[in-house]
Amino acid sequence: MNSHNEQVRHWQQWEVYRAVTPKNLMLLLLVFILLSISAHNTEIDKAFVETGKAALSAVGIGKSQVLDGAVRFGAQAFPIQISERTEVTRLEDFDRDKLPLFAYLEKGEAREYDALTDTWTSDQTEFLVEPIGYLQKVIIKMWETIEMGFWGTIISIMISLPLGILASRNYTPHRLVYSFARGWLSFHRAMPELIIALFLVLMYGFGPIAGVLALAIHTSGVLGKFFADEIENAPPGPQMALGSSGAGKLKVLRYAVYPHVYPAWIAYVQYIFERNIRTATVLGIVGAGGIGMELKGRWDLFDYDHVATILLVVFLTVVLLEFGSQKLRKSAI
Amino acid sequence: MLHFESTCCVYNDGTRAVDNVSLHIPSGEFCVLLGPSGAGKSTLMNMINGVVEPTSGKVTLGDLPLNKKNLSTIQRRVGMIHQQLHLVPRLSVLHNVLAGLLPEIGFWRSVIKSFPTESQRHACQLLHQVGMEEKHLLRRASALSGGQQQRVAIARAFISKPDVVLADEPVASLDPAMSRSVLQSLKTAARHHGTTVFCTLHQLDYALEFADRIVALRQGQVFFDGSPNNMDERTQSQLYDLARPKPKAASQVAA
Repeated sequence: MNSHNEQVRHWQQWEVYRAVTPKNLMLLLLVFILLSISAHNTEIDKAFVETGKAALSAVGIGKSQVLDGAVRFGAQAFPIQISERTEVTRLEDFDRDKLPLFAYLEKGEAREYDALTDTWTSDQTEFLVEPIGYLQKVIIKMWETIEMGFWGTIISIMISLPLGILASRNYTPHRLVYSFARGWLSFHRAMPELIIALFLVLMYGFGPIAGVLALAIHTSGVLGKFFADEIENAPPGPQMALGSSGAGKLKVLRYAVYPHVYPAWIAYVQYIFERNIRTATVLGIVGAGGIGMELKGRWDLFDYDHVATILLVVFLTVVLLEFGSQKLRKSAI
Repeated sequence: MLHFESTCCVYNDGTRAVDNVSLHIPSGEFCVLLGPSGAGKSTLMNMINGVVEPTSGKVTLGDLPLNKKNLSTIQRRVGMIHQQLHLVPRLSVLHNVLAGLLPEIGFWRSVIKSFPTESQRHACQLLHQVGMEEKHLLRRASALSGGQQQRVAIARAFISKPDVVLADEPVASLDPAMSRSVLQSLKTAARHHGTTVFCTLHQLDYALEFADRIVALRQGQVFFDGSPNNMDERTQSQLYDLARPKPKAASQVAA
């Protein structure tokens, strides 16, 4: 501290380190105040209170809105919905002699609500029951979601590979192209999938196209940056050797850079693919196809047993996916 | 084949790496460039394939003067063995060698690694000449030993049927027995193809053993130029006198 002081002090007078000073305390107080304001804005305080109430209510003390919500969902969610039951009269080209596999007919009462007179009417009709019909439907939707993730990844690679090369400092044709490509990539990266999907649903209508393109646009920004950084970090020696023997830049890229970077590229693409499938399950909520659309529809109808089936399928798929990709990664290295 | 006419090279910091060098290396000669570290060996060599530009003077390969316009033609006629080899570690031995042919094949063929069968045969022949075996052919270069990698680098330098092969310290990191055998491979390949070899070394005994001609540089200038037989003990010790303290090559036990 006193290095400017010519005079050397006795060691008993040396200034030692003090952990608690008034300045530190003031700073701590300020941080505490700012955090408190921010926590209040985000209802962290309420979360503590409500969770505490829920815990008390669980052991029989008082009432809790959180616990009520969970119980309401839980009560209707189980048993989960696996079969599908449809009124025969609502089915087009229904053939009594050619029922789907495992399906059977059942007599029952169909209730209908008339909003004009505010009355319920009931009729005796026949239902077609498919024992695993709903599960089947959900699995098909889940498969569609996986396909969305897959094509999102493929299109993302198609966008990010050329852009990544243009955005690597040593292979860009010009500094301006470099800046432009980097800018473009970060622009793609900066737009969250859900927001892109909202716009694309407006443009392309409901369905998986919007979802696939939303995934492709966002992740190409991420992937392109990865690609470019890997190219820039490739060892320069072999590139110089091939370049000085007269090979063009693209060929040098193919022979001296690509063999070096492709294991890393594969790992990135795999991660992006996994992430895309997880994201694709949510995209349906804004109407961009996949299982999210079914989830949103059932949720709005309070069909929590159907919702439970969907959640279960999504959960199992994601777990399986993680497991599979871990195996794949091990075999790739 | 290779001419230097009063060539100079001055680096930005004022170092005169190559100072008024004039040399004529005829076709088919195995010429070794000797000199202590920092004598300008690598600079002289890098001027030939355009990695370093001469500050003044002229460099000519055959009938082509070295300039921007001729650079790519000259690069195709020159094979280079780098000091750190610069093989592509994750590429197979065969494709490392064939990579020397990249300027000659079409882009889309190069993308799918579809080299003509004759080229592949030629690569095999070269690999055989430098002492590689069939089992090495499709192994990754990173799986080879240092000596084997050196041989692959030699094969790569010869694959484009160059007029001149430049070798920058080709045995710098090898043990004596391996060095001898690698230099022998280099010399055999050069003989077989009638290629001029311009090779820097810092082991004097190898130079005396393998060179047709020795050119010694000291502080950027030619200090000795002639056949190995004309290089007497005094010249040898003078050559390394001004270098940083390191074992004198003449006093090294011949391995």
